[in-house]
Amino acid sequence: MAYTDLQSLLREMLVIREFEETADKLTLRGKVPGGMHNSSGQEAVAVGVMSALAADDVIATTHRSHHHTLAKGFTPNEIMAELFTKATGVSKGRGASMHLGDFKRGHFGGNGIVGAGVGIAMGAAMGIHQRGDKNVSVGFVGDGGLNTGRTWESLNMAVIYKLPFILVVDNNQYAVETFVGRVTGGNDPAKRASGFGLPSFNIDGNDVLEVQKYTAEARERAVAGEGPTFINALTYRYNGHNVGERGQYRTQEEIADWREHKDPIDRFTAYLLSTGDMSQADLDSMKASVHAEIEAAVAFAESSPEPDLSTLTDGVDSGLLGAK
Amino acid sequence: MEEVFVPALGMAMDNAVLLEWLKNPGDPVAAGDVIAVIETDKTTLDLTAETGGVLGKHRYQPNDEVPVGNTISVVLAPGEVE
Repeated sequence: MAYTDLQSLLREMLVIREFEETADKLTLRGKVPGGMHNSSGQEAVAVGVMSALAADDVIATTHRSHHHTLAKGFTPNEIMAELFTKATGVSKGRGASMHLGDFKRGHFGGNGIVGAGVGIAMGAAMGIHQRGDKNVSVGFVGDGGLNTGRTWESLNMAVIYKLPFILVVDNNQYAVETFVGRVTGGNDPAKRASGFGLPSFNIDGNDVLEVQKYTAEARERAVAGEGPTFINALTYRYNGHNVGERGQYRTQEEIADWREHKDPIDRFTAYLLSTGDMSQADLDSMKASVHAEIEAAVAFAESSPEPDLSTLTDGVDSGLLGAK
Repeated sequence: MEEVFVPALGMAMDNAVLLEWLKNPGDPVAAGDVIAVIETDKTTLDLTAETGGVLGKHRYQPNDEVPVGNTISVVLAPGEVE
């Protein structure tokens, strides 16, 4: 994905929404081994951050990673195929939904451990710093990771070594079934982070341009040697923690309020139509092309082969020690 | 035509048991109506209609084990046949 203009931001958010809603249905049908976590509602965090990064900047993400991975420039084909655990998937069918990634393209993976993406991305920032590269590393964490030790240990390291690091809280407000406000002392993530001695912000994670602006400024500071930034982007997930969850921990009214009044795609669509940066005809053709792209991704995933048994031990080590 | 199917609710769920039909073939069905009740290894679950119409054939009977993803019946819109 090349973010060449404002319309490209909207298009990528539409790609993510259509991808997630399609994959959600396929998961309920039993087509996605290992389950999946739907990111619908959180598109602006992913697209806002990625559109402010250079192509060779690094990210590490969480269990909910489709939106980050698509926004980073991976294609719906290779992600959908990975969900189906096919050989053509981005992780060659080994990873499924939770382990998307490709080191060569600056994606250091999703994972199933709360807060682990922060530590991995901080390590990548150390590498960037060591080599003197003009890049930045972004660690994503959910609101559940706000109360995990590794998040703050990693942030502290990034501060004391002035690492080119951005910690982004993709704060959808629920750690599985637990409301963030109920379990977060002080209930002000940026204030907590600022105690570690770095620029820290609570921002509107459903405003793609606001996310982009704060990320771009953080990146500028990072490559200028000024160290890390903490960004808590407030957003909302529309669906359950995992597909198939029987959620009874929040009201239908609360979900409807976010969907109808605060949706990141609706808000940005209205903005682009009002400024004249996009016409209704542009929007219609964009939606049609996104729909076709995701349909094609499902067909690609369905028709792709399973990994061949002869490749079973491929990729289990780096190959540096002589083993295959 | 809306397919009523057994959804995959967990990472290790292979099938469910059909407990009970609450609608019969030919019954009118409104969106939100419970059509059948299934039991998984963890819970019981109401399968509801998303659209309105008329219920099609019962493809499974009570106490049958149904593999995840399988269709147990359909909701037919006016003019549709199974």
